[in-house]
Amino acid sequence: MAITARQRSGWTVANIIVALYVLIPVVWILSLSLKDPSTFTDGHYFPRKFTFENYVNIFKVGGFGRPLINSIGIGLISTLIAIVIGTFAAYAIARLEFPGKRLMLGGSLLIAMFPQVSLVTPLFQIERSLGLFNTWIGLIIPYITFTLPLTIYTLSAFLREIPWELEKAAKMDGATPFQAFRQVIAPLAMPGVVTTAILAFILCWNDFLFAISLTSSNSARTAPAAIAFFTGASQFEDPTGSISAAAIVITIPIIIFVLIFQRRIVSGLTSGAVKG
Amino acid sequence: MTSEERASSRENLQQPGRLGEGTVATAGPTAVQKPKVSEGRRSERKLAWMLCAPAAVVMVVVTIYPIVYSILLSFQRYDLRFPNQKAWIGLANYGAVLTNSFWWHAFAVTMIITVVSVAIELVLGMALALVMHRTLIGRGTIRTLALIPYGIVTVVAAFSWQYAWTPGTGYLAQLLPAGSAPLTQQAQAIAIIILAEIWKTTPFMALLLMAGLAIVPDELQKAAAMDGASTWQRFTRVTLPLMKPAILVALLFRVLDAVRVYDNIYILTNGANGTSSLSIITYHNLIGGLNLGIGSTMSVLMFITVVIIAAIFIKGFGTAAPGSDNQGRR
Amino acid sequence: MHTSLAVGATAIMAGTLLSACGSSSSGTPTLNLYAYPEQNRPAIVQRCNQQAHGQYTIKLNILPRTADQQREQLVRRLAAGDHGMDILGLDVTWTAELAKAGWIREWTGANKQQAQNDALPAPLSTATIDGKLYAATNNTNVQLLWYRSDLVPKAPKTYNEMIAEATRLKQAGKPHYVGVTGAQYEGLVVWFNSVLAAAGGSILNKAGTKVELGAPAVTALETMHKFATSAAADPSLSNTMEDQARLAVEGGTAAMEINWPYVYASMATDKPDMLKHFKWAAIPGITGAGRATIGGENYAVSRYSDHPDQAFKAALCLRSPANQKFAAIKDGVPPTIESLYHDNTGLDASKPVDAKTNPSMATAYPMRDTILAEIKNAVARPVTATYQNVSTVTSATLSPPASINPTPTEQTLRAQIADALQSKGVLP
Repeated sequence: MAITARQRSGWTVANIIVALYVLIPVVWILSLSLKDPSTFTDGHYFPRKFTFENYVNIFKVGGFGRPLINSIGIGLISTLIAIVIGTFAAYAIARLEFPGKRLMLGGSLLIAMFPQVSLVTPLFQIERSLGLFNTWIGLIIPYITFTLPLTIYTLSAFLREIPWELEKAAKMDGATPFQAFRQVIAPLAMPGVVTTAILAFILCWNDFLFAISLTSSNSARTAPAAIAFFTGASQFEDPTGSISAAAIVITIPIIIFVLIFQRRIVSGLTSGAVKG
Repeated sequence: MTSEERASSRENLQQPGRLGEGTVATAGPTAVQKPKVSEGRRSERKLAWMLCAPAAVVMVVVTIYPIVYSILLSFQRYDLRFPNQKAWIGLANYGAVLTNSFWWHAFAVTMIITVVSVAIELVLGMALALVMHRTLIGRGTIRTLALIPYGIVTVVAAFSWQYAWTPGTGYLAQLLPAGSAPLTQQAQAIAIIILAEIWKTTPFMALLLMAGLAIVPDELQKAAAMDGASTWQRFTRVTLPLMKPAILVALLFRVLDAVRVYDNIYILTNGANGTSSLSIITYHNLIGGLNLGIGSTMSVLMFITVVIIAAIFIKGFGTAAPGSDNQGRR
Repeated sequence: MHTSLAVGATAIMAGTLLSACGSSSSGTPTLNLYAYPEQNRPAIVQRCNQQAHGQYTIKLNILPRTADQQREQLVRRLAAGDHGMDILGLDVTWTAELAKAGWIREWTGANKQQAQNDALPAPLSTATIDGKLYAATNNTNVQLLWYRSDLVPKAPKTYNEMIAEATRLKQAGKPHYVGVTGAQYEGLVVWFNSVLAAAGGSILNKAGTKVELGAPAVTALETMHKFATSAAADPSLSNTMEDQARLAVEGGTAAMEINWPYVYASMATDKPDMLKHFKWAAIPGITGAGRATIGGENYAVSRYSDHPDQAFKAALCLRSPANQKFAAIKDGVPPTIESLYHDNTGLDASKPVDAKTNPSMATAYPMRDTILAEIKNAVARPVTATYQNVSTVTSATLSPPASINPTPTEQTLRAQIADALQSKGVLP
C-alpha cells in the first residue's frame, strides 16, 4: 500500500505529538541533572551551563551506590524467585486439568488489585517482630507476592501458545522427558520467560510504598526511596541536582529495556488479545 | 500494584474462551464423572497442585494472613506511643474514622482524581492506541517511546512534575503569573496530581486498547466504508462496540489502580493542603501517627472500597465478567 | 521471637547488616548520631571524637530534608527496635512523644546535672516530661518581630498597633504587609500558640492530658482573624511559610515579619543595603507583651542503643557550652546555655574579637539580648505524646486564617484535639 503525502504528513504530526508528550518531562529531568547548581533557578528548560557534578556528587557524597545495589539485588532476586515458582504454577494452569484452577487465577487477580497500603501495617508489625524489617528479605517477600500474579498470567498465556505436540514428537523419537523439555520446550518458552522477567523486574524497580515503609536506612533502602530522602550533596543546598541525577540513573535501565525489548514488552502486555 | 500484571491478566479475562476451555473441562469431568476419575487424571491433579503450591503458599501467607491481622488490629486501640493502653474496643475505630472529616475529604479527593484521570486517559489512550496501531511510519519508534512513561519509575516522573511547577525552577511555573505556587493550592495541586497520573498511565491504557483494536476485523471496517460510513461513524459504530470488553477491562484496571494513588501524591504534596488520597491518609496515620488501630481500620475500609468498585464493574461486565460463574459458558 | 526464617534471613543478609550496625564488641564503640542537616555539625562531631580519646567514635547520619520525614524515619526505626541508632537529634516537639513511647532513655545522676547546668528553663521544659529529663537541650529558637525602620519608625507592641501601622502604610501607598507563617503547617501552630499565650491561655493543661483553650483561645482566634483580614495580611498569607515571609520583606512588598533570627544573616547576604534599616523587637502581644513559642533541638539517647553510657557522654559533648557557642556563631542557632548570651569572647577565646576572622556572640548576634529576653518569657508547644496529631489537626482547622470564625473554630479545635489526645484522632 502506497503512502500518500497527506497520510505521511498526518502521521508525522501525530508521531511528533506523541514524542513530545513522552519526552518533555523526561528531558526536563535530564536537563536539571546537567544544570550547574547556580542555574537551577533560571527557569530555562535546557541548561545554559553544563556540569556532571550532580552525578559525581550522588555517588561520592550522597552514597547513592548502596541503594542502587539494593535495588538491583532485591529486584533480581525477587524476579528470579517469582519466575521460578510462577513458572510452576503457570505450567500447571496452561497444561494440566485440576480443580482449583479458577481459584488460583481468581486469587492472583485479587492480589494484583489489592490496595498495597492495606498490607503496610501488618507487614510492618510482622517484619519487625521477626527481625526482617529493614533487610533485603523484608522487601523481597512482598515483591515476590506482587509479581506472582503478573508472572502467572503472562507466562501461562505464553505457555499455551507452545505447540506441545513437538514434545510428544521428540519423545517418540526416543528423547527422554528431560531432553524433550530442554531441547524442545525450553527454547520455545524462553522468550515468554524473558518477557515476564522484564515486566516483573520493572515492577520491583518501580516500587515505592514498600520501599519507604519496610526500610529505614541504606542497608535495604532501594533507589526510589533513597531519592525521596536525599538531603543534597552539601547540607545547605537544595538537592534538586542530586535528585535529578539519581532519577536519570534509575531511568537508564528502563530505557535500555524498552529499546531492546520493545516488541517483547508490547506483546507481553497485549499478546492474548492480539493473537486472539 | 501497578498495572503490568493486569495487562497480562486481561487477556485471560477478556477471552473467556481461552480461560473457559480449562474451566469447562474441569467442570465437566470433575463434576459429572467424579466417581470414575482415572489414575492418570489423579496424578495430573496431584502434579498440578504441587506445582501451584509454592505460588499459592507465598500469596496466601503474604496477603491473607496480613489481611486477617489487619482486621484484628482494626478492632483494637493500638497506638505504638501508648503501648500499655492496648485494648479491644470493638467498632470504635470505625466510628472514629467514618465520622472524621479528613477521611471523607481524602475519599472525595481520591474519587475526583480517579474519575477525572481515568476519563481523560481513556480518550487520550484511545488516540494513542490508534496512532500506535495505525501509524504508517515509525511504528516501532512510537511504540518504544510510548513504553517510556509506562516503565519509568513513578517517583522520577513525579519529581519531574514537581520541579516543573516549582516557582523559580520550573519551565511550567514560569508560564503562571508571578507569585503563584500551584502545588500549595488545593485545586491546582490536585490538577497537577491528575496530570502526573495521566502522563504516566495513558500509554498503559493505550496498550490495553490497542490489543482491543487488534481484534476488530479489518473486513468489518471495509464493509462499513463501502456502505458509505465516515471515519468517525466507523469508529463509533463498528470499532467501539467491538472493543467494549477491552475498554471495560482497561477501565477496571485503571480505576482500581487510581484508587490506590500514592507515589505521585507523596512526592508532589505529601497530602498537604487537602490533597491526601486514601492511601496517603492511611499511610500518615499508620506510619506517621504510629496508630496501628486507626491505620488498620483505614486499610480495611480501603479494601472494602476496592471490592465494591470491582463488584460494580463486574456487574457492568455481565456475563463477560472475570471470575463470574458464567465465564466461559457462552 | 526469632524464627528459623529470621535466622536464615540474618545469615543471608549478614553482609548487609554488618554495615548497618557499625559497632563491635571490642575496641572503640561507634555511636550513630541521627540529626537534621546543619552545616557545621560535622565539625562539632569531629571535635568530640578528638576529645573522646578513644572512648567512642560518633558517626553522623543525616536525616531527610523535611521535619515530617525526619520524624518518620526516627519513629519507624524506634518502633522496629533498631539497635543502629544511639544519639538522636530531636525537634523539641518530638521529645515527649518518644519519651512516652519508651523509646528514649531518662537522664539521671551526673549526666542529668550536667545537662541541666546553666540551661535556660524554657528550652529545658521541652525535654522534661512528668518531671523527668529525657533529653539534653542543644539549641533553641524564638521568633522576633523584624521591621524596616525606614517605614515603621517605632516597633508595634501589640497586634492592634501592628495592624494600625500597616493600615497607615497602605494609605500612604507604601509596602504594608506583615509576613507571618500562615500556611497550613507547623508554622501556623507556632503562630497560634504564641498568640494564645499572649492572650493568657494554652492549648493543653500543664500535664498535657486535657484541652484548655476556652475564652483566651477565642480572643487569640479573634486576633488572628482580624490580622488575616486587615491591611497587614499578604494576599498569599495562607501559603506563607518562613521563607516566603523573609522573601516578602527582602523583596520590598512587606514592611514587617514575625520570623526566626536566621532572616538577619540572610538579609545581610541578600540585601546589604536594606540591612541598616532592618530592626528587631519582641513579638507583639494582644494587650501587653507577646510571648514567643520555643523551637530548637534536643539530644536524646535511644533505648535500643547498645552503648548508652558512652552515648550520654557523647551527647553531652555535642551540646557542651563550647560547641553550642561554635554552632551559634557558625550556624546562627541560638544556644540553650544562658551564660553564652553574656559571653563576649571570640570563637577562639584566646585571640581578640574581630567580626570577620574571630567573631563573637556579640558580632554574630546583635539581637541576642532580645532573643534572651524572649526565651525567658517563652512558652513551649504542648508537651504530649500525641503532639503530631495535635499539631496536624490544629493547623488543618485554622487554615486559612482568614476564614477563622472564633467561637465555632474554638469548638471544632477542642473536639479535634480531644480526639487526638485519645489517639482517636485521624491525621489528614
